[in-house]
Amino acid sequence: MSAIADKAAIVGIGATEFSKDSGRSELRLAAEAVRAALNDAGLAPADVDGLVTFSMDNNTEVAVARELGIPSLEFFSRIQYGGGAACATVQQAAMAVATGIADVVVCYRAFNERSGYRYGQVSSALASAPTSSGIDAGWSYPMGLGTPAAQVAMIAQRYMHVYGATSEDFGRVSVVDRKHAATNPNAFFYGKPITLAEHQSSRWIVEPLHLLDCCQESDGGVAIVVTSVERARDLPNPPVIIRAAAQGSGSDQFVMTSYYRDALTGLPEMGIVGEQLWSQAGLAPEDVDVAVLYDHFTPFVLIQLEELGFCPRGEARHFIADGALEIGGRLPLNPHGGQLGEAYIHGMNGIAEGVRQVRGAAVNQVEDVAHVLVTAGTGVPTSGLILGAA
Amino acid sequence: MTERIHDEVERVKAAGASAPKPGRDPVNQPMINNWVEALGDTNPIYVDDAAARAAGHDGIVAPPAMIQVWTMGGLHGQRNTDDPLGLMLRLFDDAGYTSIVATNCEQTYHRYLHPGEQVSMHTTLEDVVGPKQTGLGEGWFVTTRNVWTVGDEPVAEMLFRVLKFAPRPASPDRSAVLRPIVGHDNAFFWEGTAAGELRVQHCPTCGRLRHPPGPMCPSCGADKQDWVVAAGRGTVFSYVVHHHPPVPGKQLPFVVALVELEEGVRMLGELIDVDPATVHVGMSVQLALTKIDDELTLPFWRPAS
Amino acid sequence: MTAVGETLPELSIDATPTFVVSTAIATRDFQDVHHDRDKAQARGSADIFLNILTDTGLVERFVTDWAGPNARVKNISIRLGVPAYAYDTLTFSGEVTAVDGDDITVSVVGRGKLGDHVIGTVLVTR
Repeated sequence: MSAIADKAAIVGIGATEFSKDSGRSELRLAAEAVRAALNDAGLAPADVDGLVTFSMDNNTEVAVARELGIPSLEFFSRIQYGGGAACATVQQAAMAVATGIADVVVCYRAFNERSGYRYGQVSSALASAPTSSGIDAGWSYPMGLGTPAAQVAMIAQRYMHVYGATSEDFGRVSVVDRKHAATNPNAFFYGKPITLAEHQSSRWIVEPLHLLDCCQESDGGVAIVVTSVERARDLPNPPVIIRAAAQGSGSDQFVMTSYYRDALTGLPEMGIVGEQLWSQAGLAPEDVDVAVLYDHFTPFVLIQLEELGFCPRGEARHFIADGALEIGGRLPLNPHGGQLGEAYIHGMNGIAEGVRQVRGAAVNQVEDVAHVLVTAGTGVPTSGLILGAA
Repeated sequence: MTERIHDEVERVKAAGASAPKPGRDPVNQPMINNWVEALGDTNPIYVDDAAARAAGHDGIVAPPAMIQVWTMGGLHGQRNTDDPLGLMLRLFDDAGYTSIVATNCEQTYHRYLHPGEQVSMHTTLEDVVGPKQTGLGEGWFVTTRNVWTVGDEPVAEMLFRVLKFAPRPASPDRSAVLRPIVGHDNAFFWEGTAAGELRVQHCPTCGRLRHPPGPMCPSCGADKQDWVVAAGRGTVFSYVVHHHPPVPGKQLPFVVALVELEEGVRMLGELIDVDPATVHVGMSVQLALTKIDDELTLPFWRPAS
Repeated sequence: MTAVGETLPELSIDATPTFVVSTAIATRDFQDVHHDRDKAQARGSADIFLNILTDTGLVERFVTDWAGPNARVKNISIRLGVPAYAYDTLTFSGEVTAVDGDDITVSVVGRGKLGDHVIGTVLVTR
């Protein structure tokens, strides 16, 4: 049992609408999401003493605290590596609560990532930063490899070559996400399921990835309220216990371009997260009732299933066959529609869905949920959570 | 657009063969003589009656490969309005696929022709395939079949395939490419490319080769590193074909390969002078250092010759 | 007896401007890229270049030079590679790839400075 397992709980979740153009500032999205999460938790801004976000977030903790009227902060922290930060923000909160450093910590992420700055484009700013990241980027950007889709595609191509996976295998992830999104009124793609044939005929973005292998960039914000298990018992929602929370970075790690390891068919950083999660919670893959796996691009969902121990290496394409990932299947995946179907809020909307599934309050509710696994950004140093009922 | 092309293809296919187009002249000795003179063909059966008879012909025969010559349009020739190839070329010109290159020509000769025979030709549209990404640009393969007849008798056939393609702009503005940050730990690499060398970091203490390089050997901790010059040969370990979005200094679509060098390290680079459809894991490639300007020489790769 | 694997005597063709032009005219192909260097260059070519009818004719000549006057040419199938511009030298090489009774299949490659210009298969009987 780790020092933080079962010490903290998620007691509130909040979000803005998800759109292609929010029409308002990122700070306002952050403030709206945090306020909604506090309302959900039955807490007031004055109860908050900690804030955590992504280092990529454009809204400082102090700006968010100002807008909410949070009188004082005793803990504030940021996590690096893009979407890999998502579950780690909750880990930070849980650590602060477990150690008594903070009492109520809100994790938030808000951006106009569609109408403002789009991550799917080539970032010339990153490529020219006088930092170790900028130096790293110099081994890929000048060569033309400079978008997340391309960075993922390089590993996907090798994975296909080694294990015989096909574009259709990737497409099945997209089809199941879109099926779930189709019945989620908060999803971008509500009422818009797709077929495998539509996936196959969608245009190339970066071969071997089709358009429908890639999530859509979004505007929106999500916030998560964390406090101690004890305090959670006095709040209105059924507490969602943080059974495990972990970060991981692997050997010879790069951000999106870890191409120099022996094999190019895994996500070892996620394997490191997985081992910690199972050990902290005393659980195994077969104990997971719902998997919310980071799905900005389809191929990494297959590789995550292998890294996390749901199936042997190279066999995810068999594991996901026959509706295994649908609600009612062996391992329901992303019942909210995932980032491919609901919205791309850097993984934070997936944590919110994990909370709803444990509460029994999701639109696409899986029956008898005891444990939900949530993962954060893939291809980067990353993080994960196991959430459970009290 | 693609739908309009498919509709027109179906219409032309359904229209069937064009009306037979007679050759300007019957098969004749002067044109045969011009051919054998120009090509240097000394086969006597084209010019010597006795030799032709000795070879089992009823007198002089025309070179079989001349079949198309008999029905060429000539100096001021124009395609007939029902010619399927002409219709297809116009369709693709209008759709922006303005360039053409012939890719295949397969001729079958049912019999040899003698001077005096009058040949006619008709054409059908066999197949149109596309759009395809080719080394020349996006294009469509148009296949037609010609049949030559003497009277009602088919004497020869030809399957002819052309690629109608949209040429890429002359050359991308490569100087717009994103520039590497050059510092203490990687200057040797970029100075190397400028000097015509592909340098791979080498640890003088433990011998480890490493790319991308760094200031301290992860194997032995040595903080003094030098380099070796790579041979510039490798194989494709993985690759992508980038279609979207645009990337500064690159012409869409382009291939980026993760090359495994003979020396054992891997390195990313654009793979040029290649049809993206032919790239595969394991493909042999060779270095193509390309000077962008005085400040940057990039290591590109091309298929090994 | 002809056997699979038999190689044909090589044929070397100097593709002088005169050769390119005279073969184009002999094949009644008056497209400017085969006789007008200015226009060929304006269209993006390095120089005037050989036309396809000549390619088929050269492949035919190359095979019948070897097979003799008694041979009957039944089929010539060619794939076109890099252009053969004026001042190039084409070298034709060939090999028997199949023998079936009187039918002999020969594979042919015509190579120039830029690489393979024409790659073909010829079916003859004799």
